[in-house]
Amino acid sequence: MDVLVQLLLNGILLGSMYAIISVGLTLIFGIVRVVNFAHGEFLMVGMYATYLLGAHLGLNPYVSAVPVIVLLFVLGAMVQRFIIQPLLGADEHIQIFATVGLSTALINLALLVFGADLYSLTVPSARQAVSAGGYTMLVGQLVMLACAIALVGGLHFFMQTTALGRAIRATAQNRNAALLMGVKVDRVYVITFGLGAACVGLASALVIPLYPVTPTIGTYFVLTAFVVVVLGGMRSIYGAFVGAMIIGIVDSLSGYYIAPDLKEVVYFAIFILILIFKPTGLFGFGRGTE
Amino acid sequence: MTAKTIVPAVPNQRHAGFLARLTNPRVYCSLIALSLILIVPGVIDSPFVMHVFVTICIFAALSTAWNIVGGYAGQLSLGHMVFYGVGGYTTALLIQHFSLSPWIGMWGGVALSVILSVAIGYPCFRLRGPFFSLATIAFLEVVRLLSIHFTGVTGGAAGLIVPLNLGWAWMIFENKFNYLYIAFGLLLLTLLVSWGIRNSRLGYYLTAVREREDAALAAGVNNTGVKLKAVVISAALTSLVGSFHAMYMTFLEPATMFSLATSIEIAMFALIGGLGTVMGPLLGTVLVVPLAELARGWLGASANGLHGFVYGTVLVIITLTLPGGLVGTFGPRFTKWIDRLPGGGRLHDTGQAPAQRAIVGEVGKPILEAKNLVMKFGGLTATDNVSITLNRGEILGIIGPNGAGKTTLFSQISGFLTPTSGTVGLVGPDGAMTSPSSADEFARLGVGRTFQIVQPFGKLTVLENIMIGAFMRHPKVEDARAAALRAARLVDLEDIKDVEARNLPIGGLKRLEVARTLATEPSILLLDEVMAGQSQSDTQRMVNLIRAIRDTGVTIIAIEHNMQAIMSLSDRIVVIDSGRVIAEGNPQEVVKSRRVIEAYLGEDFVDAQGL
Amino acid sequence: MKVVIKAALAAGLVLGASQAFAQEAVRIGALYPFSGGLALLGDESFRGLEIAVEERNAAGGLNGKKIDLIKGDAVDPNQAVGEARRLTSVDRVSVIFGTYSSSLALAATQVAQLAGIPYFELGAISDPITERGLKYVFRTNPTSKNFANRMVDSVAEAVAPALNVDPKSLKIGIIHEDSLYGQTVSSFQVARAKEKGLNVVETLPYSAKSVDLTPVILRLKSAGVDVVLQTSYQNDTVLFFRQMKDQGFKPKAVIGAGGGYSTRDTAQAVGNENIEGALNVDFPQYRTNPQAAPGIDEFVKKYQAKYGIPPRSGHSLTNYMGANVFLDAMASSKDLKAESIRETLLKVDIPEGKTPTGWGVKFDEKGQNTRVSPFLMQWQGGELVTVFPPEAAVTKMKAGVGTN
Repeated sequence: MDVLVQLLLNGILLGSMYAIISVGLTLIFGIVRVVNFAHGEFLMVGMYATYLLGAHLGLNPYVSAVPVIVLLFVLGAMVQRFIIQPLLGADEHIQIFATVGLSTALINLALLVFGADLYSLTVPSARQAVSAGGYTMLVGQLVMLACAIALVGGLHFFMQTTALGRAIRATAQNRNAALLMGVKVDRVYVITFGLGAACVGLASALVIPLYPVTPTIGTYFVLTAFVVVVLGGMRSIYGAFVGAMIIGIVDSLSGYYIAPDLKEVVYFAIFILILIFKPTGLFGFGRGTE
Repeated sequence: MTAKTIVPAVPNQRHAGFLARLTNPRVYCSLIALSLILIVPGVIDSPFVMHVFVTICIFAALSTAWNIVGGYAGQLSLGHMVFYGVGGYTTALLIQHFSLSPWIGMWGGVALSVILSVAIGYPCFRLRGPFFSLATIAFLEVVRLLSIHFTGVTGGAAGLIVPLNLGWAWMIFENKFNYLYIAFGLLLLTLLVSWGIRNSRLGYYLTAVREREDAALAAGVNNTGVKLKAVVISAALTSLVGSFHAMYMTFLEPATMFSLATSIEIAMFALIGGLGTVMGPLLGTVLVVPLAELARGWLGASANGLHGFVYGTVLVIITLTLPGGLVGTFGPRFTKWIDRLPGGGRLHDTGQAPAQRAIVGEVGKPILEAKNLVMKFGGLTATDNVSITLNRGEILGIIGPNGAGKTTLFSQISGFLTPTSGTVGLVGPDGAMTSPSSADEFARLGVGRTFQIVQPFGKLTVLENIMIGAFMRHPKVEDARAAALRAARLVDLEDIKDVEARNLPIGGLKRLEVARTLATEPSILLLDEVMAGQSQSDTQRMVNLIRAIRDTGVTIIAIEHNMQAIMSLSDRIVVIDSGRVIAEGNPQEVVKSRRVIEAYLGEDFVDAQGL
Repeated sequence: MKVVIKAALAAGLVLGASQAFAQEAVRIGALYPFSGGLALLGDESFRGLEIAVEERNAAGGLNGKKIDLIKGDAVDPNQAVGEARRLTSVDRVSVIFGTYSSSLALAATQVAQLAGIPYFELGAISDPITERGLKYVFRTNPTSKNFANRMVDSVAEAVAPALNVDPKSLKIGIIHEDSLYGQTVSSFQVARAKEKGLNVVETLPYSAKSVDLTPVILRLKSAGVDVVLQTSYQNDTVLFFRQMKDQGFKPKAVIGAGGGYSTRDTAQAVGNENIEGALNVDFPQYRTNPQAAPGIDEFVKKYQAKYGIPPRSGHSLTNYMGANVFLDAMASSKDLKAESIRETLLKVDIPEGKTPTGWGVKFDEKGQNTRVSPFLMQWQGGELVTVFPPEAAVTKMKAGVGTN
C-alpha cells in the first residue's frame, strides 16, 4: 500500500513534467496541425540555454525561465514563419520531413557545440526532498506540478478572455471559417507555434535541476508527448494535462508492477488502442480521425 | 467489333507492343541508367564500391516499396522497418533453428510481415495523416521493445549471428558480386511491382483514395481494401529486402532491424526523389546515399556532429525548395528532353471502347425501395420517416427548400450514410432485393451518384478522373481509357481531357462529376444539382443528355433547384421539407399543391395569393 | 672528393633505405566509430592503437618495415561491413584492429573472416565475438562474462568481508539498461550468482532512455536489496544515483560495470558526496598501482604529449596494451599470413602484472585472452581508485555508499 501511494505520487509528479511539454505540443500539433518532430529538440535547446545562463551568469533556473521562455517563443515563431508556413500549400508529409530535418540539425548542432558529454546544473534548493507521511518528493517536482497547474489555468484564461485567445480557438475549430471572419490565420499560427515552444521553454527551466542535458535528451520525451496529446484528444489543454497525468501514473505503475523495460510498451499499446477505438481521445475533447 | 476478329490479333499486338516499348526512349533510357548499377562496380572492381552499390540497391528497394504505401496510397508510414526487421529475424531464426535456407525462410518472413501489415493496416487506415504516422511509429517501437525483452526468442539486444555457411543456398558469399546480383534483382523486382501498380487499376484507385475518399467510394472503390492491398504488397517487398540485408550483414540486432531513424530515412529518400512516382525513390537514394557517405568522410573527421548538422539543414532546405521532389520538379522538363530522342513522343492510341454493361429488367418495376428512413445527427432529425420507391426507367425529381434533407436522403440511398433506422433495398444482379452495407458496394450494384459539392481528383487529368469510374466495369487500363473517353465525349469534355481537374471551372467540374459517374455504367443514377453553375445552353444540353441516358435503360433520380428543368425532365416529383415527404406525384399536380408552395414561399404568400 | 662521394653514397643509401621502408610498409586497418553517437570513445580507443603504432615506427617499424595505419569509420553495422570490406579489399590490409562497440565488431569480424584476414579486438566486450569459431579473431580485453564474474565475485570477496557479513546473507539486486551491453553483462551476473550460491532477489532491465527510474528503485527498496549491481550508461547512472537519494534508498553497496560509472561527468552530475563509495568494475583506469601495471605512467605521459590532454578514459590504455601484444606477435611471426599469425599468437605467454593494464596474455583456441580480468575500483573523494585485487590496489576499499 505504501509503495502504491508513493508510486502514484511519483506518477503525478512525472505527469506534471509531461504535462508542461505536452501542453506545448497540443498547441503546435492540435491547433497549428504540425507534427513537430523537433519538439524534443526545443526542450534540449531550452535546457542548454538554461544551463549556460546558470553556469556563466549564475542565474537560478527559475529566474532563467523568463529569458528562456522568450527565446523559445522566438525560436518557435521563426520555425513556423520560415519553415512551416512556406510549406502550407505542399503535401502535409513534407512538413513532417521539415521538422525531422530540423530535429537532426539541432541535435547535431548541440553535439558540435557541446560534445556528447552531459552538463548539469546543481540547484540544491530544487533537489531538496520533502517528506510527508513517509512519502518523499522533491521541491523541484512540486514546483513543476504547481507550474503545470498554473500553465493550464493561465492558458485557459488566455484562450477564453483575450481576443487573441478567441482567434486561436476559432482557428483551431475551423481554419477557413476563421479566415472568412477576418482572423489573420497565418499570424495566429505563428503566435500559437511560438506559445507552444514557449511552454517547452518553461519546461526546460524546470527540468534542468532534475535531469542533466545532452544533445539527445529531447528524444527521450518527444514520443511520450505525442502519446499524451493524442490521449488527451488533440486540441484540448485540459485533455493534455489529464493525459499527461495518466501516462505519468501508467509509467510509474507499469514500471513497478510489470517490468521497467516494458513500460513504454504499455503506453504505446494504450496509444494504439486509443487511436483505433477512441480516436477522439479519452474524453472526446477532439477528433483524431480528421 | 466481334470477338472473332479480335482474338487472332491479340498476340501480335502484344508482341509489337513489347518491342515498341523497348524502342521508346523513356524505357530504354531507364534500362540503360539501371544497368549502370551493375556496370559501374563491375568496371571498378572494388568490394567497397560494391558495398556502396549494394547499399544503394537495398535502400532504393526499401524506399520504392515504402512509396507504394507512402506515396501512392498517401499513408505516411514511419514504422516501415518493422517489416524489414520481421523479414530479417524470421529468416535468421529459421536458419538457426531449422537450418532452413534463406531462400525459403524469406517467404516465412513475407508471410509474417503480410499478417502484421494487415493487423496494423486494417485498424489504422481509418486514421488520417499524422495519426497514421504516429500509430506506425508506435507499432515499430512496441515490436522493437518486445524483441529486446524476449531474449529467448530473438537473442535480445545482444543480437543474432547468422552462421557463416557459404554458397548460394545460404546467401553468403566470398565473391561479393553475388550480393550485388541479388540486391539488384530485389531492386528490379520492387521497381517492376511499383511500375506495374502505377499503370494498373490499383494505381489509379490508390491515387483516387489518396485524393478524395468519398469520390473514390462513389466510383465503387473499396477504400480500405485497396489500401490493404498496397500495404500488403509493400510489406512483402520490404520483408524480402530485410531478409537479404540480414544475410548481407550476417548480424541482426533490434536497434538496427527496427530502427525508427532508418524508417524515416527511407521515407525521406522517396520524398527527395518524388513522392508517388515510380523512379523518385530510386533517384532520391542514388542522390542522398553517396552524398551522405561523402559528407561523413569529409566532415565527420573534422568535428563530431558537423555532418549531421549539414545533413539536417540540407534536408530542411530541400523540403523548402523542392517540395515536389526531384521528379516532381525536374521530371516534366526531363521527360520532354527524353522524348526528343529517337522513337520518342508517341501518344497512347486509344482502342475501341469496350461494350457497355447491358441493363436488363422490366421497365416500371421497383428497382430501389427506401423504407422509413430516419437520420438523426445529434438532436437534429435530417430525414424523418422518408419512404420512396423508384421504378425502373423513370426520372424522379426531388425538390425542396434548402436544408430540407434532400442530400441526406441521397447519401442514405447511396450508402454514404447509414440511416439511424429504416432500410434501403436494391434490386441485385439476380433480380432479388438486397441491402448493401457500404457505399462502394452500392456503387458496384449499379448506384451511381454525383456530389452537390463537386469532388474531383484535382491532380488527375479529366480523362483519368473519368477512368476511376470506368475501372469498376473495365479493370484493364486500355479498356477503361476507351470507356472514359466515350463518357467524356458524352458530356463534352473531350477537348479538355488532358487538363488537370483542379483547373476546371465549376460548370466543367459538374459535368466531370456526371461523366465519372456515368463511366461506372450505373443502372440507377443519382444526380445532385448537376445543373447548378451551367449556362442556359448547357442546361438544355444537360436535360437532353439526361433523357438520352434514361433511354439507354438507366433509372434516374435528380435533386434540382432549377424548376424549369426539373419539371420538364421528371416523370414524377417528390417534394421534401424539413426531412419529410410532403408531396408526391406528376409535376403538374405537385406544382399546384398548397403545401409545396407554402414550403417554398411561406404561408403568408399562399394566403395573399388566395390559393 | 672522397668525402663528397661518401656523403652521396650515404645519402643514396639512406634514400634507398627509406624507399624500401616505404615500399614494404605493413598496412593495418583501424576500424572504429569515428563519427556518430559512439564517436567520442571510439576515437579515444583509436588513440591507444595510434600511440602503439607510432612508438613502433619510431623504433624502426615492424621488422624494419613501416606500419601504415588505415582508418575505417564504422558508425553502424551496415557501415562496419562496408568499411571492413574496403579495408580488406581496396586497401589490402594485413590485419584489422578494432572496434570499441560490440555490434560493430560482430558485423565486421564476419567480413574479415570471409576475407581470411586476422581481426584483433581491443575493446568490445560481447562474448560471442570470440565464440563463433572464427579462426582469425583474437581479443585481448576481458569480456562481459569477466565483468559479470568480477562484479559478482566482488560481492563475496570484497563487499561481504568489508561489511563483516556472510555473503549468502546479502540480498543482491541486478539492474541494467536493456541494450546489448546491459543484457549480456546481467545475464552472466545471474549465472555467476547462481554458481556461487548468492541470493539474487531482483533482476530489472530498463531502457537507457528512461526519464524515471523510481519504479526500479522502489522495487529494490521493497525487496530489501543490500547490494545493487548496475550495468548502465551515463544518463541512467546519474538518474539512478539522484533518485536513489530522493527515494531514501540506501543499499550497503553499489557496483557498476564501467560505462556510466567510469566518467568524471557522472560524478560531477551526481555530486562527489553522493557517488562516494560506489564501486565500479572496468578496464584499468589511471589510478592503478604501477607495480601491477608497468608502463601505465609512461603511457599517460605519451598521451599527454601527443594530444595535449590527459586520457579521457581507460579505453586508450586497453587499446594500447592489446595493440602491443598483437604487434609483437606480428613481428615475431614468420610471415603475415593469417595462419602464421594465429600460430604465433597461440604461443604468446605473458604472466599477469607485466603489461600496462596489469593483464597477462594467454589466448585459448577461440582467440580469447584468458589471463584478463577487470579491476574493482571505487569512487573516493572524487577520484576513481583501484581497490581490488590487492596487488593492483592503490588504496583500501571503504564500506557504504554516499555520505548522507
